[in-house]
Amino acid sequence: MTIPKEEILKPSHLACPGCGAALAMRLALKALGRRTMVVISACCWTVINGTIGYNYSGVPALHTAFETTAVVAAGLKASLEMQGKDDITVMAWAGDGGTFDIGLQSLSGAAERNDDIIYVCYDNEAYMNTGIQRSSATPIGAETTTTPSPVVKDRPKKDLMEIVAAHDVPYVASATLAYPNDFVKKFEKAKSKKGFKLIHILSPCPPGHKFPESKTIEISKLAVETGIFPLYEIEEGKYKINKRPKFKSLNEYLDLQGRFRNMPKEKREALEEFIRKRWERLTIKAEYFS
Amino acid sequence: MKKLVLGGNDAVAYAVKQCYVDVVSAYPITPQTSIIENIAHFIAKGEMKTRFIKVESEHSAMAAAIGSAVAGSRVFTATSSQGLLLMHEMLHWAAGLGAPIVMANANRAVAPPWSIWADQVDSLSQRDTGWIQFYASNSQDAYDLLFLSFRLAEKVKNPVMVCMDGFLVTHTKEPVATFEDEITDFIKIKDTPVLLDVDKPEAVGALAFPKDYMPVKLEQIKRISTAKEEFYNIAKEFKDVSKKEYKPLYTYGYSDADIVLVAMGSNAETAHLAIDLLDKEGIKSKLIKIVMFRPFPKDEFKKEFKRVKKVVVFDRNVSLGKSGITKDEIAGALGIKNIIGVVCGLGGVDVTEVEMANIAKDVLENKIKEDMILWGEK
Repeated sequence: MTIPKEEILKPSHLACPGCGAALAMRLALKALGRRTMVVISACCWTVINGTIGYNYSGVPALHTAFETTAVVAAGLKASLEMQGKDDITVMAWAGDGGTFDIGLQSLSGAAERNDDIIYVCYDNEAYMNTGIQRSSATPIGAETTTTPSPVVKDRPKKDLMEIVAAHDVPYVASATLAYPNDFVKKFEKAKSKKGFKLIHILSPCPPGHKFPESKTIEISKLAVETGIFPLYEIEEGKYKINKRPKFKSLNEYLDLQGRFRNMPKEKREALEEFIRKRWERLTIKAEYFS
Repeated sequence: MKKLVLGGNDAVAYAVKQCYVDVVSAYPITPQTSIIENIAHFIAKGEMKTRFIKVESEHSAMAAAIGSAVAGSRVFTATSSQGLLLMHEMLHWAAGLGAPIVMANANRAVAPPWSIWADQVDSLSQRDTGWIQFYASNSQDAYDLLFLSFRLAEKVKNPVMVCMDGFLVTHTKEPVATFEDEITDFIKIKDTPVLLDVDKPEAVGALAFPKDYMPVKLEQIKRISTAKEEFYNIAKEFKDVSKKEYKPLYTYGYSDADIVLVAMGSNAETAHLAIDLLDKEGIKSKLIKIVMFRPFPKDEFKKEFKRVKKVVVFDRNVSLGKSGITKDEIAGALGIKNIIGVVCGLGGVDVTEVEMANIAKDVLENKIKEDMILWGEK
């Protein structure tokens, strides 16, 4: 496959250098094309897309309240369908706070109704727009302004993919910026399916995760190779692991990021154990439901 | 026209069916539920071509309505009490974006303690969200105001709330003159905004620095300020079809009254009877019923209050730590002093015409000199 050449995302948007969320939007729109509308809830993209009069996304963008991404997108899609505009793709675009936390209820509602939208969570694993506070997507051991050392995050990250898959929706997938072909293919697949689709993107954040802005892709790749962010999809209930990791040492991933600098040894072990268990469950599911 | 026996909720649902609504998004709550049940039945029977999004909360009901409305659909929702309070954040979004959503609210008391009965604190707490607010006193009002509301919302690009006292209006069955085909020309053509267009990709609701925020709000202030004038125009058109006249304030009784009774919602029906009781005793009185609460009909009040000696306002609501809410609004807007506020009927307590007439007499005889609370049956 080839990645479409056309750039829909406009240059000089307001993202920080090395922002994973900006790259994610760029690739997503390449796959979905111009007949797309995007609903953006309160998140970094509220800023990235520009102030009043600007729209760097390049497609019609509807800003909305933090917890409403999925349901506003559902209402928008219903409206377009009632007017016979069936060919327009509606993408709900939210961060991890808007997805894992405050928006989980309306996300569940839209998934249960199987509303015909593509829901994208660009997951930078904390409330980055408000200045790095922990969310339920923050991994064990990470330091944030509300989990300052030595009280680092002690609970595991919620399993968003499995939560959404439990709603019996047609398509759930994870993606990272390190594998752009896989990324684009997943968006194209989501576009081709009717009903509720979720794409969960790991979105490295240089100021929030504390790493140099040139390392976004490297960190995305290490997330997959160490097994901390599994690349897989659940299509009509069938599991497919897209990239089987060789389980590189987790330290390679953690040591690149300042947010793990003050991580106590027992938290490293807890995180490793969490990853091991998650892969155990995922492997069984992939074998059983394939 | 066809006479049907309908409760306020039935009347609203029947009007929605006749208003060419594209999308309904709603969540059940007593005493609103029969509105959306009726709509669900109309759709199931193929009598309505409408998408009904059965959301998981009232917050989402308003959010879905906004998503639908900004893409150009005619949208309806309904709620009550706790549900309306949960929507609060999204009410600001709807008004701020100029989404012409029409919503029915069954006025119900707010917990604690739990209550499902009539009380207007729920919708009056939404006073500053930028919604146009109407209050129906009976099923006929509720029915007619729905048609007027869709036209008004689309004309001024502003959402409209039609409020009915829970059970007293929502469930009291009474004859309603309903339309057949004669209303089609009035209601069929939509004037909904299309804010999202793939051929003209713009952002809606984007971040505004202070210098940009103020102009957007000024636009919004201008929109809702024109609503009263536009309401007169639309009501005139409506009168040609329905033979019924709607105004921001409805009046009944003597123009040279010695005392004026002000009421809103079901209280206005009761006050109607109180005027007749007072008339029998030789007391000239007048009812002012508030039909439009936002935008506030200040000029109309001014006109009605000319040469009035005494005013008593009955509020089935209260602003805790101050007074009845409409009393406070009237006194504040007109700067008048000869006005007595009566807080009554909270949480569905009955308010009778005899009580209203007695209070009016006591006010006239200077026996009541300050705001009071009428407890009704103890």
